[in-house]
Amino acid sequence: MQSKLTDIELIEQTLAGNQSAYADLVKRHQRFVFTLALRFTKTREDAEEVAQDCFIKAYRSLQSFGGNSKFTTWLYSIVYTTAMTFLRKKRLDTSSIDDENNFIQVENQNAAFENNMAENKSRSFYLNQAIEQLLPDDAMIITLFYKGEQSLEEIADALGIEPNNVKVKLFRARQRLKEKLERNLKHEVNELI
Amino acid sequence: MKNIEEELWNYLDGLGSKQEREHISYLIANDKTYQQKYEELLSFNKELESMELDVPPMAFTYNVMETIRTEEASKPLKAAIDNRIIKGIATFFIVSILVLVGIALANTHWSSNPEGITNFVANLHLPSFKSFNGPALRGFVFFDIVLALYLLDGYLRKRKTSEEM
Repeated sequence: MQSKLTDIELIEQTLAGNQSAYADLVKRHQRFVFTLALRFTKTREDAEEVAQDCFIKAYRSLQSFGGNSKFTTWLYSIVYTTAMTFLRKKRLDTSSIDDENNFIQVENQNAAFENNMAENKSRSFYLNQAIEQLLPDDAMIITLFYKGEQSLEEIADALGIEPNNVKVKLFRARQRLKEKLERNLKHEVNELI
Repeated sequence: MKNIEEELWNYLDGLGSKQEREHISYLIANDKTYQQKYEELLSFNKELESMELDVPPMAFTYNVMETIRTEEASKPLKAAIDNRIIKGIATFFIVSILVLVGIALANTHWSSNPEGITNFVANLHLPSFKSFNGPALRGFVFFDIVLALYLLDGYLRKRKTSEEM
């Protein structure tokens, strides 16, 4: 059962040497951090690696969290920088298209996609599918705004940009998401929107 | 100039001044284009709000905590030791040195002998320990005095440097 203590109380306990308090913090925020990581990495394995890395980095620098902002805002800024570093590294590591592993991965993704199409055509499935097709920045802004309980100012803090830029980016991201959703759904779009 | 969609998104997000919001409200109620677009965006907004989060693997928290525990265990000893413990040990030694020096000086027979300084060590009457006396004890006291002088020197140098800055 998860602790009813606030994030700040759990952080204080962690800093006093209680590691199980940090485990409670991880449990509380793991779904959201994992989802954000997935918006960037697109695969569950990589998202798990990035999300774990984020929580470990947060633990290491917990002393430096001043409490001036929400813990989640601070944590999401770590997710953003970690995920961006991961993507940059991945781009550098990108190998030839003849690489057998790449081929297998694409094939697996197609198979998974087809299976999902056949088995799960719920509204959330189409929405998630469209979000996956967005650029990582767009997907992250939408997720932070709708699921992260973050205001435009807090999102700006987490991403290190101006609140006005967040507003513009959010507007464009929603437009692009809507377009992708419409394209994906074709006939079903009228039912969904 | 803002387009209809931008105006409506601002309205849905609760942004803009009271006047702007009232104006959009009026347009939604009286303009069919606004009304239609508003319904469309409202429905889309609801979909986004009900979007579900992905679930990480079952062992996610365990894996994170295991990595942290391993890291903590492999921390170098220097980083793991509390500074208070180091200070406590230092205080213990300094107090021991001072007590021993005090006892030594209290047991010394002071005289106006011109060879007093050279005979100073010989005149020291230290408390007698059955198994730890003679040259060994004197050596220990000498070492303690050197250590105390070294620490004092370090402290004075540090103070001088901080005063110069």
